[in-house]
Amino acid sequence: MKMNRRGFMKACGVMAGYAVLGVNLTKEAVASAMDFVAMRQKSVYNADAKLYKFRKSQDNPMIKKIYDPKKGFLHDGPCGHKSHHLLHTHYIDRSAHLQALKKKGLKFKI
Amino acid sequence: MKQIEGVMYQTSAPKGKDPDKLFFVQVDADKCEGCGSCEEVCATGAIQSINDDDIHQVVDPAACMNCGQCLVNCPYGAIYEGVSYVDEILEKLKDPNTIVVSMPAPAVRYGLGECFGAPTGTYVGGKMHTALRKLGFDYIWDNEFSADVTIMEEGTELIQRVNEQGKKDARPLPQFTSCCPGWVKFAETFYPDLMPNLSSCKSPIGMLGPLTKTYGAQETKIPGKKIYSVSIMPCIAKKYEGMRPELDDSGFRDIDATINTRELAYMIKQAGINFNSLPDQRPDPVLGDSTGAATIFGNSGGVMEAALRLAYEVLSGQRLDNPDIKVVRTHEGINTADVKVPGFGTVKVAVASGLDNAAKLCDEVRAGKSPYHFIEVMTCPGGCVNGGGQPLDPEIRASLFRSTVAQINKRFRARKASA
Repeated sequence: MKMNRRGFMKACGVMAGYAVLGVNLTKEAVASAMDFVAMRQKSVYNADAKLYKFRKSQDNPMIKKIYDPKKGFLHDGPCGHKSHHLLHTHYIDRSAHLQALKKKGLKFKI
Repeated sequence: MKQIEGVMYQTSAPKGKDPDKLFFVQVDADKCEGCGSCEEVCATGAIQSINDDDIHQVVDPAACMNCGQCLVNCPYGAIYEGVSYVDEILEKLKDPNTIVVSMPAPAVRYGLGECFGAPTGTYVGGKMHTALRKLGFDYIWDNEFSADVTIMEEGTELIQRVNEQGKKDARPLPQFTSCCPGWVKFAETFYPDLMPNLSSCKSPIGMLGPLTKTYGAQETKIPGKKIYSVSIMPCIAKKYEGMRPELDDSGFRDIDATINTRELAYMIKQAGINFNSLPDQRPDPVLGDSTGAATIFGNSGGVMEAALRLAYEVLSGQRLDNPDIKVVRTHEGINTADVKVPGFGTVKVAVASGLDNAAKLCDEVRAGKSPYHFIEVMTCPGGCVNGGGQPLDPEIRASLFRSTVAQINKRFRARKASA
């Protein structure tokens, strides 16, 4: 079968159409971004295994110092009185503003 | 506006403002091409099309968790940051009466090198500490130290919650992590009924701020009021967290300024520091030393693994010989695991990477069907290493051609549908 000019153009058009329409491009871009993330993640686990002298928080000498039951700054221990004052917090219900936006007709994913 | 590592920043450093009213990220309508990549990666739908040309905007700060995934995934560089403390920090560094303290997050040291040509993910912790010293920071304290503190606090809280089940006024299980500022705002906005499940622990930076101005001040004999604390994060949402009015437990603002990895790279370049030739240095003692458990906070599943390294030893009374708990390491999606602890039984855990996945686990908890003891949530897929404040993936902008094709395609389809 001999391909004429018109047929060739049509075939090209169809192929280009498939090439473009057939793939979900945003998904593809996100997938390639995740490979990028995997490289950073791998480096983190490598440092954990090889660069750090201690690998558990409770083994950190500076942690032992701050929680020292006698002289430590946080001498009453984790979740103790001083920890509660400095290191713990409370949360604030922020749903009202969002509900008001939804009432105005704005749509969100959740 | 200032261009910093390929991202536009508004040079506003708000003080005493309500962070709920600020746009930490917004779309420059003149640059937006309406491709919809931002909307696709936004878990809440805060960023959406506002007109027939598909120009996108963050419609209201209340719906935006400030994660910046839209920004790092925009192929046109059309999304900018609304807050930058860089100029203010440069002023403070020059002021002899101010003691400026650096507090860099774990994930920063796995991204910063990329701004200076290093391969993706290269660890540059030692060079980062040296660069901070050269920039004139008076104390190089490290948010990794307070990640270790967080494990002590949050792990202990988990063990307390497990032990108090069935008793009067027991705090509920599962316990959710509270390190990620996008996730915390998400829980407060969309699942306020689950706030009792959130760990009461502040995030590592939420802890290091007040420790710097109390413990750090005491150890260095510097008055807390002279200290200016700078949080350096792979994140945009940490700028919101740093401004939370309740974070003033030291008697001062716990965190004075927050910048991200890109802004730190910018400061190093502006100062003319040759980053690649810097030697490796250590942070300053007392609030500087850290462990592998702290550095893995930057990965999805890392907080979980670090907490389990503590919980295992406390619950079993035995030493955990191999600290690798690889089952909880999470690249994307939801990961669940049963961790056997001698003398205790099975600790059931889940890790959610991305807020859409977190919502699924939240719905289970709401329905009373969640079998877990402990759930970790990270807003950014993969964790902080992929944070909205990290150096951009060069592929995203390089894929401009593909996006352009996608966009033509989308308009073609739209026309067809309406015809």
